[in-house]
Amino acid sequence: MTSSAVQMTTQEENADASLGDKAARWLAREMRANSVSVREFARLPGGAIQDNWALDVAVDGGAWRGEHRFVLRTDAPSGVAASLTRAQEFAVLAVAHRAGVTAPEPLFLCRDQRITGREFFVMRRLPGVAAGHVLVRDAALVPDRDALAEELGANLARIHAIRPPQPELADLAPAAADHARATIASYRAYLDTLDDAFPALEWGLRWCELRAPAPWDVTLIHRDYRTGNYLVDTGHLTGALDWEFAGWGDPREDIGWFTARCWRFGASEREAGGIARVDPFLDGYARVSGRRATRFDLDYWQVMAHLRWAVIALQQAQRHVAGGERSLELALTGRIVHELEYEILHLISQEAR
Amino acid sequence: MKDISDATDLMATAREALLQEILPALPREQRYAGLMVANVLAIAAREIQAGRDAADGESSRLFELLEGASASARGLPPLRRALAQAIRTGRFDDGERRAACAAHLARTAADWVAISNPKALRKEAS
Repeated sequence: MTSSAVQMTTQEENADASLGDKAARWLAREMRANSVSVREFARLPGGAIQDNWALDVAVDGGAWRGEHRFVLRTDAPSGVAASLTRAQEFAVLAVAHRAGVTAPEPLFLCRDQRITGREFFVMRRLPGVAAGHVLVRDAALVPDRDALAEELGANLARIHAIRPPQPELADLAPAAADHARATIASYRAYLDTLDDAFPALEWGLRWCELRAPAPWDVTLIHRDYRTGNYLVDTGHLTGALDWEFAGWGDPREDIGWFTARCWRFGASEREAGGIARVDPFLDGYARVSGRRATRFDLDYWQVMAHLRWAVIALQQAQRHVAGGERSLELALTGRIVHELEYEILHLISQEAR
Repeated sequence: MKDISDATDLMATAREALLQEILPALPREQRYAGLMVANVLAIAAREIQAGRDAADGESSRLFELLEGASASARGLPPLRRALAQAIRTGRFDDGERRAACAAHLARTAADWVAISNPKALRKEAS
């Protein structure tokens, strides 16, 4: 196809071009291709904060000629304050991918909001299933649970091998000197903005404050590394997803988040994300990092994980109750706080083990 | 036995109709919303039955735990606020006070989980 044909296509579709078509025309320029035709454009499941679209394209001309399976990732209409911009997330993903982390390869970033109305980026689409409730139940998808947990531990350790400073990540919030104490202070500050008080959450925060461990060295942390946020294909990890909360911090926060009961999708007896016992996960982590979380580390950062989820659930509930965003899903998320309080109290009561 | 349905029975009946008659006829993409509505009906029915007792029990335990909270602190929200503040400032860090507070919080959380999601209760606590 000649460049005049691209011109014609542009004019024809200008009136009512979809997000996919707009992105494809932009990609054609980025790729220095004659044209990029959209073969498939469909919203992918999940993502209350980000919109993910499967974008299959055929590229005519240039270094990218041929067929490609991409994901287009852009902001959902309603965001969450704590999340990164798409440009920051793209940079994190690029650094992680280059460091050998199993994650989607980020390809093109569009910061120009005139193209589609929002920032977006395009990454390679990886094969696999992410749905947590499926992965923890379907033995055919995960024939060797221990092996998958080992891979997940090793991959997390590769993320944690990324240390500051990283010039590309200069605009991430700087690390706190003591991540645990800084986190406790930020959760308290949030709770103080609410009308209701939550004594059980205060109990958890006080316990975490009194027992705050000496910090591990600051690393990149994912902050949403859990079952439901990675892809598994033929029993193996193909990619860690959803990097929008990444930042600098104590790597044990990710270990606690991954192993916390609230992310086991009902398979509570399998501490490693509902997938397996915790040991193979910690083995994989130790194989790459040389470090191993203790039982106390697990308990401590699992309490922190439930506190964090409770704060997020309260934020979601606020969107429904006070933010003018009436939603059954947001309202029900608020009710999860009771379970999280119950779990925090249980973990603390088990302290002597 | 009542002669006409109360709110709890209406919700239970509505939930049965939703699960047995409406949900199977819903398109796939609406199924999740249908299940959420069924869940909401179950939570609301349990809260109507047990919510008052849970709140009353919590209030009276709080009043005892806070040893003569001022009369102005009657009512659940100010009592909860007073306990939250006391925990944060370390008044329940040690000894018998700590044990009493832990017992109160465990009981309170279990009562509310029994309303919001009884499946999450551990066997030894139910």
